[in-house]
Parts: sequence; structure tokens; C-alpha cells
Amino acid sequence: MESPGELVNNDLVKGWLQWGFFWSIFGPLIGILVSLKFNYPNFLNSEFTVFGRLRPIHINGVIFGFFTTVIFGLFYYMVPKITGVRLYREEWGRPLIVVWNLALSAGFIGILAGYNSGLEVAEFPAPVAAVLWLVFVTIAFQIFMTISRRKEEVLYVSLWYIIAALVWTSVNLLLGYFILPYAASGANSAALHGLFIHYTVGLWITPAGLACIYYFLPAASGNPLYSHRLGMIGFWTLAFFYPYVGIHHYLFSPIVDWAETLAIGASLMLIIPVTAVLVNFYGTLKGRWETFLSDFTVRLLIVGTLFYFLGSLQGSFEAMRGLQKSTHFTDFVIAHSHLTVFGGYVIFALASCYYVWPKVSGRSFNRELARWSTWLIVVGISTMGLGLITQGLIQGNMLIGGSVFVDSVAAMKPYWLVRSAAGIAMDVGVALVAINLLRGKA
Amino acid sequence: MKKAKFVALLAGFTFIFLAIMVQAIIPSLLKETEIKYVTKTIRTPLGELTEVKGDSRPYAGLVEQGRRIYIREGCWYCHSMYVRPVTGEERRWGPVSQVGEYAYDTPHLFGTRRIGPDLSRAGGKYGDDWHRVHFADGRLIVPESIMPKFPWLFENHQGLQGPSAEGQALIAFVQNLGMNRGKWRDDFSSQNLSGGSAALATAASLRHGREVYELRCLGCHGEKGDGQGPAAKFFVKVQPRNFTSGSFKFRTTPSGSLPLDGDLYRTITVGVRGTAMPPWYELPEGDRWDVAQYLKNFAADFKESVPEPPFHIPPAPRATPELLARGKELHKTFQCATCHGEDHRGNGESAASLTDDWGNHVQPADFTSGVFKVGPRPEDIYRTFMTGLNGTPMPSYDSILPTDEDRWALAYFILSLSADRP
Repeated sequence: MESPGELVNNDLVKGWLQWGFFWSIFGPLIGILVSLKFNYPNFLNSEFTVFGRLRPIHINGVIFGFFTTVIFGLFYYMVPKITGVRLYREEWGRPLIVVWNLALSAGFIGILAGYNSGLEVAEFPAPVAAVLWLVFVTIAFQIFMTISRRKEEVLYVSLWYIIAALVWTSVNLLLGYFILPYAASGANSAALHGLFIHYTVGLWITPAGLACIYYFLPAASGNPLYSHRLGMIGFWTLAFFYPYVGIHHYLFSPIVDWAETLAIGASLMLIIPVTAVLVNFYGTLKGRWETFLSDFTVRLLIVGTLFYFLGSLQGSFEAMRGLQKSTHFTDFVIAHSHLTVFGGYVIFALASCYYVWPKVSGRSFNRELARWSTWLIVVGISTMGLGLITQGLIQGNMLIGGSVFVDSVAAMKPYWLVRSAAGIAMDVGVALVAINLLRGKA
Repeated sequence: MKKAKFVALLAGFTFIFLAIMVQAIIPSLLKETEIKYVTKTIRTPLGELTEVKGDSRPYAGLVEQGRRIYIREGCWYCHSMYVRPVTGEERRWGPVSQVGEYAYDTPHLFGTRRIGPDLSRAGGKYGDDWHRVHFADGRLIVPESIMPKFPWLFENHQGLQGPSAEGQALIAFVQNLGMNRGKWRDDFSSQNLSGGSAALATAASLRHGREVYELRCLGCHGEKGDGQGPAAKFFVKVQPRNFTSGSFKFRTTPSGSLPLDGDLYRTITVGVRGTAMPPWYELPEGDRWDVAQYLKNFAADFKESVPEPPFHIPPAPRATPELLARGKELHKTFQCATCHGEDHRGNGESAASLTDDWGNHVQPADFTSGVFKVGPRPEDIYRTFMTGLNGTPMPSYDSILPTDEDRWALAYFILSLSADRP
């Protein structure tokens, strides 16, 4: 392989990642503030920082601020490396970084000021949404053009995921930002919105995160990918089934029944790609398990696959009507979203940063600090996942048993404290990763 | 190169469009998703309840403005907006949601989380006074609530002198929720359960009653039961009941008598519609009985005397046009209009000067509103003629309306005044 300097534009990768590190502290920090309001409802209560305005900032801050910004940096690194050519129109990179991050900041200020589309995960004010979409599509174009000029005829699995993720999300953001708020009402609005929410996690976060691990696990462990065929099975089953699952957010609602049933069936089929992907990664480490101890990229990626597997499995099962009766609307669902998004994909992204950042910046990081941050992250997300699952089951069953509603809320309070503590551990862990990398020795 | 295009076209475009087609576009073309009507409970011209097919209504005016504030403040992150046909939700919140109710919801507000209760049936459950307190400082009335305070929806952020235009719009929106299903609450089985007439007070039940009182009632009715709880200062319509006098409006016992335990239990269960007193049917039965026992301690009367024997209220007959005609005659004979008004809106000539025993102005019932403090069933109106409302100018007509037929006639006539237009 060539040295990275020849293919990768280090400055651009650094630019995206630096902003990504900033959002990696920002998005989760808002999550802490929001979670404290569950136990201390008067905490930070003002017109601009009320729960209903901070919550969308946490979610958009993590998905589009933290995760997506880091992913753009990783794409800028991976795509030239895999294709063997430099990125198409590198000179666009700097303005794209600036516009993307300015638009995000404007979006968060807009939400604080009370602009909210009323659609979860698509809250950004329309002008901001338009800019974000344009940046996204431009980056997609850049990457497609790069791929079209590639030297390697074989398309590595990561590239499949990157291509698909960029196509899907260009379509999906258009859907969520510009069609959903205007073109649909009532149950149809909910159905479309269910699709949008789950496309954001399933057709952006998932394939982008998997693209990273498919590239960086072999790269960091020094073993080739275990099975190209399993990779294909994983990709095509995900691509085929994932687009149908979104309506499982609104089971037992006035949305037509067969659409709900189809969504449940597709959710269960996702066990196939999840398992295929998992087997492939563990297979890849065959004979190289010592790298799990020696290399933080490998360590975090493998830890992430555990949460990815458990969280995804939970997601498939909670889509079923029987389980959803009691668990829907409770923290059980919040456990799923944190186990998968944080436990899986955010950890994949951080692991990839451990690999990429020293290469593009020429700085090394402190291994002791990295060990600490890994433990904080692992203990934090495990505690949060278990706690939220437990409390979701408790609240769901209290309500089935006929508790007064507010009593079921009051019963959650001790668990919410544990959740906040777990969240703080996770956030400190992530912040330590960012600080450790940024302040590494040259 | 072919392979990259293949991935982009098949996995990327084709698969997502296929799914959007199947899961969103085809359903939206089906007639069943375009339904703009709902099952609506209405009051017939004879004063009875029936279910009809009613049009769902678009949002307009204050309600539409309130909806925008509901979206802006992110209320929908914690409050879902559909009742599922499972886990007893139809007994907790009300009728299961129908597709027509959402015909004009752009964007939809189904919600994915219930950190607070579902709100699709919130309209009319609480009076405006309750919402005023709830937005100003909800923990005054629901101590375990974790809802934020919204002082910026009030005229004076510090003094909280009544909701601002935005606050009023938000209250109007919440009060409108579920209203396109009509008067379903008048026929809501969870509220129509009868519990019996008397319970035994034990040391344990009083202790438990006290806990329940302090958690659920104290905010309005006060530590001493004098109706001076910390939330009372927000009330503009009806003050919280003062329990220290033993004078209770809603009874089955003769005028001037103490109420039965069962009467207190009924009021706790069904609430007092239109006021800040909500229905407490969600509360376990034991809690309701015990708190009824506990609040009797506030008045010495309950120790000094016992309630008189209650009236027996027979099952209501069906309404007939003849019965209604008779009722109209009686209404004239008894000059109900002096207080309740010629147009039945509670604005008769003496209405302005009426006060209750506690010195508060009382507004006679508006028969056209469909909101009855005493209850919406013919039996409730019948009972009110018999017992009068202690502490208020509403007398007992027990001896003046000697036959059952006359009582039902007047009851149905009064109910017919809130008949819905077809």
C-alpha cells in the first residue's frame, strides 16, 4: 500500500475529525443535561432550554453533529485508500467543512429559539435543512466521482456500504426535510415519518458504521476479511429488508395493519445481516486475537460489535406486537437506541479515529488514557442499556397492571439517576478519546 | 465500474423506492387512509346518547395556534397521541384511536414515547383552571410530575397572572384533543362504575387515606382541607371545595344532609366536569374509599351526626317526545330560567347575584354546554332535583316533583338542551 500522504488529503480529514470531536463532546453533553431533567425537572428550565427544545439538539447533535461529521472525515480517508485515487475535487473539501458545521450550529440555535418542524429527527428549520442536504449531496457526488475513477476493479465491501448509504440518505433527507412536513397528513404522515426515522438509523448510521468496521478491522488487525461472501449476504439482506422496518415505531396505531405487519417481518429478517456481519468480524480476527489487547482500534471495534449484536437483536424482537404491547413508549426503546447507536456505531467511529487520527496528524496518543476511556465507555453503555431495559419492562408492566400513570413515572426516578450516571461515564469516556487524540505527542 | 453503478442503482435507489412505494405511497392511496370521519358520541334531540358517524374537523383559530405552540415547546416528545387497543388503554385513556381523527394532522403528532400520559383524550378531562396550574407549576397538583414549568406562557413570568395569548391557545388546543369523538366521556365505562354506599374506616384505612390525600389532593384542597392549597390561587372559575363544613353538593341524601361515603367515592371517581377536579378512576378503588374516609375528618359534622337515608333512584326510562314536552312544561312552571336563563345558558336575571355558603359567586349551570358538574346521565340530573346542591342556591325539588315521571321528564328536557346538531 502507498503511504497515506500520497492519496489522502490529511488536512481535510483532520478538519472533519476536529469538528467531529467538538460535536462528540457537545451532543452527548446535551444528553446529560436532558437526562438530569428527569430527576430535577426545574434544572436549567427556561424558555430556550426547556426539555422539549434540548432533546432534539441531543439527538440531532449526536446523529448529524457527532456521528456524521466524524464519518465524513473517515470517508475522506477510506475512499481514496480503497479506490487508489485522490478524492475528486479536493478543493471543495474546506468550504464543505465550514458550511456543514455552520449550518449545524445555525440549526441548533434555531431549535433553541423554538423553530421545530414537529417531526422527530427532522426538526431542523427548513433553510438549515436545505444547506445540510446540499452539503450531503455534494459529498456524495465527490465520493461517487472518486469511485468512478478508481484503479481497483474489485469493489471492496466498505465501498458498497458507502455508495448505498450516500444514495439512501440523499433520498431520505429529501424525504424527511422537504416532503414529509408538507405532503402527508395523519396516519400517512406517521407512516412516512416512521420510515424516515428508521432510514436515518438504518440506512445512514448503520451502513456508514459498518463501512468503517469492514475497512478498519482488517486494516488494524492485519488479517484479511474472513469472508467476502458473508459480506455480500450481509449487505444485500440489509439493503433489501431494512427499508421496510420503519412503521414498527407505530404499531397498534391507525396506520394500515398490513404495513405494520410487513414492518415487523422485515425487522425480524434483519437478524440475518446482523449475524452475518458479526460472524465475519469474529472470523477476521482468527489467529490475530492478540491485537484485541495490543490495538485500541481492534479492541473498540470488537466491543462495539457486541453491543451492535445485542442492541440489534433487541430491536428485532421489540418490533413484535407481543413484546411491544408493554415495552413501547417506555425506556425499553431508549435502551435499544443507545445500545445500537452509541454502543455500536459511535464506538465503531471512535475506534476508526484511533486508527486514522495518528496517521493524518502524525501524533500518537496516551495508551493509559485510552484504556481509561474505553472502560468508562464500556461500563457506561452496559449500565445504561441494562438499566433502561429493566425500567422499561417495569413501567410497561405497571401500566398493564393498572397503575396510575404518574406512579409509573415516579417508579422510574431511581433508575433515571443511574441512567444519568451511566451517561456521564459514557460522555467522559468519549471526551477523553477526543482530548487524547487532539493533544497527542507529535 | 459496472458494479458500483449496480450497487447504487439496485441497493440504493431501487430498494428504497420499492419500500417507500409499498409502505407509504400505496397505503396513502387506499380509501381507508383517507377517511375523514370518526365514530362520534352525540346527544340526541331527546337527550339520550348515541354513536354516529361524524366529520373530523380541521384545526382553526386558537386551537390551530395552540397546536403550533405544542410543537414548538416539544410537548410531543413526552406525550403520545394515540390510544392502542391493547393493555387496557381504552379503559385508561378512552376510546381507541381511529384514522379519521388525524385527517387534518400535518405533521402527525403520534409520538414515540410516554414520559407523560397520552393526550389524545385529554380534552375535557380537566378544567381550564387545572391546566393553568399545570403549566405554571405542575408539581403543585401532581407532586411526582416531571413536566417542566412554563412561566413564559404567562402574562407575568414572575407573578404568573394568568396565561398569555400563547398560553391560552395551548390550553385551547389541549382542551380540543379528542373532541371530534364527541361526548364519549359522558358514556365512559371507567367512570360509570358504582362502588357501593359505605365503607368502614379503620386506623389503617385512615392512614392510607391521608397518604393518598397528601399526594393527590392537598395541592388544591390544602393541608387543613379548607380549599386553600398552594394551587388554589391560580383558580378563576371554581374554588377548590372546603371540606371543613361538611356541606357537600353531590349526594344521594336529602337536602342539608351529610353525604354517604359512596357519594364522596362517586365524586372522586367521576370528578367535577368543567372544574379543576379531575376524574380519579385511574386510582385504585381502595385509595378512593380511604381518601373519602380521610377527608370526612376535616369536618366535625361527620362526628356529630350521620347522613340521612339516601333517595332511591330507579333505572332511567327511555326518553320520548311526550316526556320531553312534559319536561318543558315543568321547566316553565318551576321558573328554572330565573337562574339558568331563558336561553338556558346559566345567565338568568338573578344569576349575577348568586353566591354559595362560602361567599364565592356561583354561576348557574349552562344547560347548553353539555358540561354538567353533577354528571351527564339522566340519573345524575334526577338526583340533583331530589337532593339540591348543598351550600348553593340550587334547592331540592323532592316534594315539588312528586312523581318519577315528572323527574325523568325534566331531566331529559335539560339534557336535550345540549343536543348536538346533526
